[in-house]
Amino acid sequence: MALQVTDLTISFGGVVAVNGMSLSIEPGEIVGLIGPNGAGKTTFINCVAGAYRPSRGTVQWKGTELRGLAPHSVIRQGVARTFQNVASLHDLTVLDIVKLGAAARGRRGLAAVADLWRGEAALEAELHETVLEPLGLADIAAQPVQTLSYGLRKAVDLARAMASRPELLLLDEPVAGLTVQEGQQMAAVIREVRDRRRCAVLMVEHKMDVVMSTCDRITVMAAGARIFEGTGPAVQADPEVRRVYLGEP
Amino acid sequence: MPARRRLALLAVVVLAAAGSFALGRFGAYLVHSVAIAAIAAMGLNLLTGFAGQISFASGALIGIGAYTAGNLGNAGWGLGAILAAGVAAAVASVVIGLPALRLRGLYYAIATLAAQFVLEYLFKIVEPLTKGISGMNIAPLVLLGRPVASDQAWAAISIAILALTWLGLARLMRTNVGRAFLVVRENELVAKGMGIDVVRVKLWAFLASGFVIGVSGALVGFTTRLASPEGFGLSLSIDQVAMLIVGGQGVWAGSLLGAGFVVLIPEAIQRLGEALHVANLLSAMREMSFGLLIVLFLLFEPRGLAALLRRLARGVSRIALPHPVPDSSPVVAARTPAPGGTREKAL
Amino acid sequence: MLLLQIATAGIATGSVYALIAIGIVLIYKCSGVVNFGQGGYAMLGAYAAYALARAGLSPPLAAAGAVLVLGVVGALTELLVLRRMLRAPVVAVMMVTLGLLILFRAVCLAVWGPDQIAFPQIFPQGAVQIAGIFITYNYVAAALLSLVLSLAFLAFYRFTPMGLMQRAAADNSRAALAVGIHVSNQVSVAWAVSSALAGLGGVLLATLNGLSLTLSNIGLVAFPVIVLGGLTSLMGSLVAGLLLGMLEAFTDGLLTPALESFLRAHTSIYSVGALQQVVPYMLVGGMLLVRPQGIFGQRGTERV
Repeated sequence: MALQVTDLTISFGGVVAVNGMSLSIEPGEIVGLIGPNGAGKTTFINCVAGAYRPSRGTVQWKGTELRGLAPHSVIRQGVARTFQNVASLHDLTVLDIVKLGAAARGRRGLAAVADLWRGEAALEAELHETVLEPLGLADIAAQPVQTLSYGLRKAVDLARAMASRPELLLLDEPVAGLTVQEGQQMAAVIREVRDRRRCAVLMVEHKMDVVMSTCDRITVMAAGARIFEGTGPAVQADPEVRRVYLGEP
Repeated sequence: MPARRRLALLAVVVLAAAGSFALGRFGAYLVHSVAIAAIAAMGLNLLTGFAGQISFASGALIGIGAYTAGNLGNAGWGLGAILAAGVAAAVASVVIGLPALRLRGLYYAIATLAAQFVLEYLFKIVEPLTKGISGMNIAPLVLLGRPVASDQAWAAISIAILALTWLGLARLMRTNVGRAFLVVRENELVAKGMGIDVVRVKLWAFLASGFVIGVSGALVGFTTRLASPEGFGLSLSIDQVAMLIVGGQGVWAGSLLGAGFVVLIPEAIQRLGEALHVANLLSAMREMSFGLLIVLFLLFEPRGLAALLRRLARGVSRIALPHPVPDSSPVVAARTPAPGGTREKAL
Repeated sequence: MLLLQIATAGIATGSVYALIAIGIVLIYKCSGVVNFGQGGYAMLGAYAAYALARAGLSPPLAAAGAVLVLGVVGALTELLVLRRMLRAPVVAVMMVTLGLLILFRAVCLAVWGPDQIAFPQIFPQGAVQIAGIFITYNYVAAALLSLVLSLAFLAFYRFTPMGLMQRAAADNSRAALAVGIHVSNQVSVAWAVSSALAGLGGVLLATLNGLSLTLSNIGLVAFPVIVLGGLTSLMGSLVAGLLLGMLEAFTDGLLTPALESFLRAHTSIYSVGALQQVVPYMLVGGMLLVRPQGIFGQRGTERV
């Protein structure tokens, strides 16, 4: 078992956003997390990634407890996340962002002073080969991120997460806002990342075709809790899921 | 940076430093005044323009640099006094920055204001270290066994240190800590999600900017040869922030331009006033031009002289060349963000 | 006896602080702008009253005229400057108000010079005897006028339709727009009222301490007041203004002499200087670390 979340609960000012949610992921597995708006999917990811501190529950990751760790410490444990909406970061190029991703697991403390005189050529070559080329970003590595299309910026965000050499990727709506074609490319990239690195993936996504074609297993959330778990066809056939999703009686 | 450009830059700096010996006393005085102000402005630019943390305490930090350098210089420390001044101000800057780890924007600005006042007060009463209200006389810096007293020599030294500072800060911005500054400035939540330790990054920003401002303070002390509390008041902090605004935030050249503007314009007005025999209106006119400058720049050119000059240069090149030079034409056309894609919702 | 004397001085200056701070909070609440130049408006008010009195108006009438003039100046500031900076970052807005402060000071310097000026007598001379101590009418009037006006303003803000519109604009400008409130007009009104209050504060301060450019420093003293009171609480400003006025008075009257005699006995330090001027800032430094939202403020307001 790579990730084992048990009984995760968090509330904001009396509103329980995630309520006793449990979920597990094996290495190399792609798990889709779906559910209606407000089900608590993004909040769940935020809890695992350390952005929020759950009031109850455990987040076991390869024998370490992640709950209570700061986001930057969670990344050091090999758990990286992407964002639903990518921020526009002025002045930074694609390569800058990817380097920051790599740095998330790099030198700390006073050792960072060494960066002042150390060259970055070797690192750049490595990032080109391992991240930029596979994601098709090599040609635009020197471009400022803010000049890129939304789809490319999402790819850069994924590249940034991958540069930290994660063993678990948390993807928050990776294809939302992309064109159909861009979405398919993104889905292919996600599968490739898994295949090549045996990286586990947890993705929150609304586009069902992408979820069905990409995920090995699907977990359905509603009102902060898990209501169903299974393969794509099983999820589509389940009456409870249909009721929550489609409003069928 | 390519080797050829590096050499060219070195040549410019050496020539400028050497050239300052050809200047008259007043010319040299203007040169080192601008250079020293620009060093501090770069320190503040690092903190505010690049890392996004406002500060109204740079006047007091310049003071800490000057007092430290004065005490150690008087004890015969030489160049070490300048470095020690940087270290002392860096420590103070981190202490002042601690509230910034919890506070944002306005509250932090008020906290730095409080630090400015408290430090200014301490300059007045900690007489063993500061000689109190009367101020501390500072002996000339002793370099290679000889005291440095001429304005020309100080102009050369200031230019050299300014160049070093510029180079060092530009290099810092190409490290991961430097890149992280920019992300923290744009959005702290995103920075956290990217695995950036925001607290650590901010501390680096305070440390580095404090060091640079402290070095500038040491130079202020050695060139004016006097450190007194009213020299490091809130108005000096406001001068510094004004340089940042007039010059342009987040651009190194902007700090130099801003320092030149804020130091030289009042001088020019003073000359003008003396020529027109309206000396009694002088200080009023200086202040008025200063206030107007700040307001007008913020209203009409908030990105400062650096952006203004860049636009001018582009306009000139467009007239001079048959085909306009495109500035950073995006390969992929920018698209509007996804529906509801505000930065606040990034998490 | 001494304590009472000190407390009176503290209440008088403290209530003027409150008047200035309420103006800052009012603008902040409805536009998110912090006016670092509030002291400039106070100074301008005092000089305006002086000029009107010199022009022949009776001193109380001159004071009232100055308050009106300042209201216009405030509205003009909003229309000409702040309205053009709606999308500017916080730092830029802070700096533009500081720039205005510098400008105002320069104008006053050019017109009236750097020296202290004898301010016209607005309130009758003499003193009233209360509980064995003498309090000049200046102090009584400053304290009473500021307190009554502050409370009247709070009531106005709370209970009148205009106050309701102000509160709606402050609370949620989009929602206010949606129900038909002209939000930017409300911001102009807030600036006018705030500057008028500051102008009155300046006049009162000048009756206590005389008139000079240093009067504008009161704007900076007001910041500890608003941090202590919570940036969003008008009532908080009132209470914190009084508290800090008292703190200053007691520091000046009791703490400083005690501290100095101790230091002279045990160290080489002879004077602690103007300790009363920094004590509020020391307090604020600690306050910001422990409870940044102030005594009366609400948590999370900074996130807007």
